[in-house]
Amino acid sequence: MFDFKGFSMQWYRELFHDTRMLIIVLNTIIVALLSALFSTIFGMLGALAIYNAKKRQTKNMLLSLNNVLIVSPDVIIGASFLILFTIAGVKLGFYSVLLSHIAFSIPIVVLMVLPKLMEMSPSLIDAARDLGANSWDVLTKVIIPFISPGIFAGFFMALTYSLDDFSVTFFVTGNGFSTLSVEIYSLARRGISLNINALSALLFLVTLLLVVIYHFITLRNNKASGLGVQKR
Amino acid sequence: MNVASIIQFKNVTKRFGNNPPVLDNVSFTLERGKFYTLLGPSGCGKTTILRLIAGFTEPSEGEIWFNGQKINHLPANKRQVNTVFQDYALFPHLNVFENVAFGLRIKKVKKTEIEAKVKQALSFVNLDGYEYREIREMSGGQRQRVAIARAIVNKPEMILLDEPLSALDLKLRTEMQYELRELQRRLGITFVFVTHDQEEALAMSDEIFVINNGKIQQSGTPTDIYDEPINRFVADFIGESNIVEGKMVEDYLVEFVGKKFECDDKGFNANEPVEIVIRPEDLEITTPELGRLQVRVDSQLFRGVHYEICCYDKDDNEWLVHSTKKAKVGKEIGLSFDREAIHVMRLGETEEEFDRRLETYADKGDSAQWKVN
Ligand SMILES: Nc1ncnc2c1ncn2[C@@H]1O[C@H](COP(=O)(O)OP(=O)(O)OP(=O)(O)O)[C@@H](O)[C@H]1O
Ligand SMILES: [Mg+2]
Repeated sequence: MFDFKGFSMQWYRELFHDTRMLIIVLNTIIVALLSALFSTIFGMLGALAIYNAKKRQTKNMLLSLNNVLIVSPDVIIGASFLILFTIAGVKLGFYSVLLSHIAFSIPIVVLMVLPKLMEMSPSLIDAARDLGANSWDVLTKVIIPFISPGIFAGFFMALTYSLDDFSVTFFVTGNGFSTLSVEIYSLARRGISLNINALSALLFLVTLLLVVIYHFITLRNNKASGLGVQKR
Repeated sequence: MNVASIIQFKNVTKRFGNNPPVLDNVSFTLERGKFYTLLGPSGCGKTTILRLIAGFTEPSEGEIWFNGQKINHLPANKRQVNTVFQDYALFPHLNVFENVAFGLRIKKVKKTEIEAKVKQALSFVNLDGYEYREIREMSGGQRQRVAIARAIVNKPEMILLDEPLSALDLKLRTEMQYELRELQRRLGITFVFVTHDQEEALAMSDEIFVINNGKIQQSGTPTDIYDEPINRFVADFIGESNIVEGKMVEDYLVEFVGKKFECDDKGFNANEPVEIVIRPEDLEITTPELGRLQVRVDSQLFRGVHYEICCYDKDDNEWLVHSTKKAKVGKEIGLSFDREAIHVMRLGETEEEFDRRLETYADKGDSAQWKVN
């Protein structure tokens, strides 16, 4: 291939002049942020619903449904979404990608939040109500602060899953809309360009950054779980 | 409903599913500004009573009244009651100050006022200067005091405490017993305290409710309950007792272990079978000739303040003696006791019947030491 002659910023410069590439990067980031945001909200609500389910049966059923989504292969999820969107008549593009990313991230968020909820002593909720809190206060002042490490972790997991998803996006994208992983795939098929190497290097740095942030969140997480409430 | 009463249970029954009731037709009245204790073995329904008062659960049958108002369906956040939970239930994401301030913030009290009130509540429980500590940096006893401060800062009409001292060591526990009692006197708030430690109950309460199997067995002042237990369960649960079977020959004369003794009880049928309670500390060791009972010393334990001596009489009844004097294991000794030490219990008598019988004594004024409530 190429002989290594030294470091060069040339390909990076080229990359940044490639507006099409920049738009794709932007798309990828927007999809990742939005899908992480929405899946965190829905995932949290889902975890609360599972936590509050009165009957053990309902609880187990909801949990199994959640796990089905996690264990099924990406290709199957992607194909299913494609079929669904075609039947429902959703135009393939930004929204189809966003919706499918939200959908496959929700179970991940649920799995991150639920253990935190289970860890919470139910008497904390009683205590808040005892001190005059209504249901909204209980949710915002007690439950959400308590499970916030799980929520953050879920958000970042969703973010990384969305950023590096290829197979699902590959199925449901269309009309010129593309994300990084799909774009890299098609570039690589067309033949090697050093643009890709520069892009991959950047991608690597961003992912590394996310991992570091995630690490610090889990650190905080562990610290938080050793707190005050004694369980019997 | 009189002015002094703050909470009243009227025939309250609590059932979970199709199981037998956890509380079975319970009725009682609590007066304002007193220290009450619910005492009973594990699983008898103490926490359930507190949860009914606090509003975390609703009665299956019966009514709960608070300040002359029926509150069966009033949600917990609308009740003038605060709880100190068995596990403290402090909010781990808030520091000491914010934990205590939680109720005030919900009520949207002014900031400066919150500051002053929280400081005052913390100094009530001797935690000045701990405001900005995290909960995880507090010891068990300190956490418990934070939980108490969090309850009292709201100035509720009633505070419910669910075995708040059970996690503490003996010394801290005794200290906290004094502090709690003192606090209750200073604040004048009604306290309902749950424990399964009978010594704690005797030391702290204005009135004790002894509960078993979801029923109130007996209620009264600590001395009432200790001196006049109504049945075998209460006698056994409150302090150590020697309980033997006997029969009431006539008024003021009871027969047990084959001998007749004079006593202070009356109002029984002739030759009615009864149970006799004699507290171990009322028995005194003498020589066999001087003793009213002759027993053989079986074993002896040193308990610090006294020796606990276990003896058997010739009918194999066990007699527990608390004595500051040592006895010799295997030796024959005599036990003497006063006529007041004998307490006669009618079999299967309910609290109302018991009270009625006591009243007949008082009417005739011939038994001064009976206290009637
Ligand atoms: N939510 C519930 N569902 C079913 N049964 C329950 C529930 N809550 C309590 N019980 C039952 O009610 C009974 C009384 O419980 P409670 O918690 O009042 O006991 P307690 O007197 O506080 O005991 P402890 O001293 O061990 O705390 C127990 O037999 C318990 O199993
Ligand atoms: Mg309990």
